[in-house]
Amino acid sequence: MAAITNEPIPASPEQYNRDILRVLEKPSVLYVLAVLALAVILHAGVAALAYQTYWGLGKTGLMSPVFWGVYITTFVFWVGIAHAGTLISAILYLFRATWRNAINRGAEAMTVFAVLTAGLFPLIHIGRLWKFYFMLPYPNQRGLWTNFKSPLEWDVFAVSTYTLSSILFFAVGLIPDVAAARDRVTDWRRHLYRILALGWRGTSEQWRHHSRAVLHLSGLCTPLVLSVHSVVSWDFAMSLVPGWHTTIFAPYFVAGAIFSGMAMVITVLVPVRESFQLHAYIRAEHFDNMGKFIVLTSTIVGYAYAVEYFMAWYSANPFEQASFWHRAFGHYWYATWIMITCNVIVPLPLWIKKVRLNVPVVWVLSILINIGMWFERYVIIMTGLSHEYEPARWGYYSPSITELVILVASFAQFFMLFMIFLRLFPVIAIQEVKELHYHHDAHEPHAGKGGAH
Amino acid sequence: MATVLGVLSSPGATSGAIGLLKSSGFADIEAYSPVPSHEIEAAIGRGPSRVRAYTLIGGLTGVTLGYLMTIWMSYNWAMVIGGKPFASIPPYTIIAFELTILFGVLLTVGGFLLHGMVFPKGDSGAYRPSFSSDEFGCLVTCHSDQIPRVQELLRRVGCTEVRVLEG
Repeated sequence: MAAITNEPIPASPEQYNRDILRVLEKPSVLYVLAVLALAVILHAGVAALAYQTYWGLGKTGLMSPVFWGVYITTFVFWVGIAHAGTLISAILYLFRATWRNAINRGAEAMTVFAVLTAGLFPLIHIGRLWKFYFMLPYPNQRGLWTNFKSPLEWDVFAVSTYTLSSILFFAVGLIPDVAAARDRVTDWRRHLYRILALGWRGTSEQWRHHSRAVLHLSGLCTPLVLSVHSVVSWDFAMSLVPGWHTTIFAPYFVAGAIFSGMAMVITVLVPVRESFQLHAYIRAEHFDNMGKFIVLTSTIVGYAYAVEYFMAWYSANPFEQASFWHRAFGHYWYATWIMITCNVIVPLPLWIKKVRLNVPVVWVLSILINIGMWFERYVIIMTGLSHEYEPARWGYYSPSITELVILVASFAQFFMLFMIFLRLFPVIAIQEVKELHYHHDAHEPHAGKGGAH
Repeated sequence: MATVLGVLSSPGATSGAIGLLKSSGFADIEAYSPVPSHEIEAAIGRGPSRVRAYTLIGGLTGVTLGYLMTIWMSYNWAMVIGGKPFASIPPYTIIAFELTILFGVLLTVGGFLLHGMVFPKGDSGAYRPSFSSDEFGCLVTCHSDQIPRVQELLRRVGCTEVRVLEG
């Protein structure tokens, strides 16, 4: 296994603009075909949704006692994926971890597309899409208000806030780079960038307000990112379903979200790095550090799995014990063992630095981790709901074709949006990597260019 | 009045030029930069951005609105459940927290757009595309009779190009 070797970082600041904005140039035939293929799959999902909307939720596998299925599983999965972008952009920014600079833009874009995809699933799940506004506290003739004591209502506020905040954080960071694109491209996109750059000139006055805004947005988004998946976990933990009613859920979900989000960053950035020759920017230290994050969060998630079983045993609660026995050896045993294998065993090789620096291996592991994390949510929901207190109310859920098509289409939507983003906006934050270049030059003017971004 | 633009190649050289111009009595100076630079910001010396006030006002508005909205709506349609109080502060804290963040973010972005984008100071059309790539600009506003002195100072600090834009 050949480990990644670092290429020299660009010699001149101008080369950063040239290399990174080159990605925006004319797309290859392969790229166009890939986007078209994803669009076809997405349309299949739209058709499946139209079919379900016309005939009703009877076209899903949902029936008593399991009324949360693939849609809520996938909602939680995509909210989790959305966490890595904010972690890299906001939390690592506050900690001054400069290695984040080359990957934060891609991770932020991923966050925005993941959270937009996630937001669709509660709407798809309610069946009557046109009633979605019932979740909002709006004045109405009956004088009814939403129930703010319900975790589902907390979710509406948390996910909406997260969506809007992620988009704004992403957009504010993008402004200087859009201006750089405006100054370089010559085709129709110049007009688009001129509008989106909002008149950015890079004056010290603009930078002064921009830097402060980014700092404050990071400060606001850091507790937000921790709260969002905590609130999602309380959708489960606030109920009295065996296997759900536990205080470990919030940290367990947040660690799982960072775990899967970091894996998805690797899944999307490896092809970007290879396709657009960005080896000088997305470097060994990025894979090394992301691998360490995965090892850390995998350990927390593995610990949470173990503690859940320990608590079921130690509580001497027969319902908890039955639920967890069912989880490991019942109808959904295959999902549980996929979850444990992919989330606890598969990441173990990443303890070894040589493995963390092997890009193809890390990429394959990242995909397996994402499969495992989808199954984690599936296991929690299905085993909880299908095996509650009374044997007379035990049941079995299996997703319908409609649900599976919509699930696959959500992945197509996510990847299609990301690929379109690649061709419209700089996938690496030019001004941030260039800032490090000047910083490096100021402190080590005669040193070789081997530093990290 | 006239404006003179000096083109430089690094943040350090730009902050040095600003420092020299200021010590020579020129106060109306603006800089163009492709990257954020603390050195340049400190040399210009405008102090902290007002965006921080917007963040604070947004956060306070959000937390107040979050509690007021939830408590008022609970009493507006009072539901009697087992003798429990109509308004329950712990779950409402979650709504208040989310609205604190939401309004904080909205006003922070609003403050940035208002001060940085809609009404930015100091940009008199001296911008050139290379300022988003690899060049830095130092723009000095002075009296017409001070132009030679400003040109001489800018050349002394190593400007690759010095141009009189108006005057």
